[in-house]
Amino acid sequence: MSAEDIYHEALVRLSRQATGAGHLEAPGGSAAVDNPLCGDRVTMEVRLEGGRIAALAHQVRGCLLCQAAASMLGRLGPGSTGGEIALARAGLVAMLEGGPAPTGRFAELSVFEPVRAVKSRRRCAVLPFEALGEAVARAGR
Amino acid sequence: MTPELLTQLLADVEAKRTVVLCTDLQSGEARLVHPYAPEAGLDPALLQACREAAAVDRSQKWERPAGALFLRVFHPPVRLVIVGAVHIAQSLGRMAQLAGYDVVVVDPRRAFATEQRFLGIPLSNEWPDEALRRLGVDRRTAVVTMTHDPKIDDPALAAALRSDAFYVGALGSKKTQEARRERLRGQGFSEVEVGRICGPVGLPIGAVSPGEMAISILSQLVEKLRKPAGSRPA
Repeated sequence: MSAEDIYHEALVRLSRQATGAGHLEAPGGSAAVDNPLCGDRVTMEVRLEGGRIAALAHQVRGCLLCQAAASMLGRLGPGSTGGEIALARAGLVAMLEGGPAPTGRFAELSVFEPVRAVKSRRRCAVLPFEALGEAVARAGR
Repeated sequence: MTPELLTQLLADVEAKRTVVLCTDLQSGEARLVHPYAPEAGLDPALLQACREAAAVDRSQKWERPAGALFLRVFHPPVRLVIVGAVHIAQSLGRMAQLAGYDVVVVDPRRAFATEQRFLGIPLSNEWPDEALRRLGVDRRTAVVTMTHDPKIDDPALAAALRSDAFYVGALGSKKTQEARRERLRGQGFSEVEVGRICGPVGLPIGAVSPGEMAISILSQLVEKLRKPAGSRPA
């Protein structure tokens, strides 16, 4: 599996869209998570309304996979609950470890399927989900 | 020297500004000259003399018709920012400290930049461009990238090329260097700017081990610092 196979067109497009990149004016919670092995770092800011994500913004210092996952959350995150984000993350992790691609709202996580073959890169895609989960938890406290 | 002058001098040293204390050897009268941010209306000959003294980093007597001045150079310490907490960085960091330089190792990969691996060397887990912005890269600063990961090395090099750093080095083979230069040109850096990067890094002394590589890099850094005009193009 080469870099070209992981970084396929849909992922590149997703990362370039960078949906949700930036800052929120008054975040209810924020969290930064990094990967000590590759240096990727994601900061997520969220505002909750009625237990659901009303708005989110992220700052990513990291590879294309990390950017793509954050961008996907920028689009699909708003409207979700913390539980749904945790479920999506679990689905992503399961897929990367050999399971089937998630179905439902986060079905398009299947774009990360090629990453399954490169163990050292799996966490890059998961990192934004970890950060968002923690940010939502903090905003809910 | 008046208390006001001393206060200003200490402020310059604190702010890491290069400053030259010019003392008239007959009258004892003294004044400060900032060779890289000169005061308005300064005698151009004096400024030139101060710049030369600063460039060679040596305090010296300056003869002029109106009487001799002693030019005492106060430089901020030479700093070396090593990007990448890799094996060679362990040797290079210690050697540069022995040479009297301020060293900092920057690597957002916390698993590499650990105190155990870099005993006594200041570490930063920031991304290199963030660290360089915070540190303020000046003409007494050298930057060397060593991660082999463009995601980390490239932002460091871009920040270094936009600064007055006296030495910018990048670890990597000739092939790697060409790809890197191409990426930086793509970011809008000119041929001359990209040409500032010493890469493959270090003097060609046939270094093999990490320690020898460190010697080769440190030697090139000293050459750029002390013999800027005599340096080979990269």
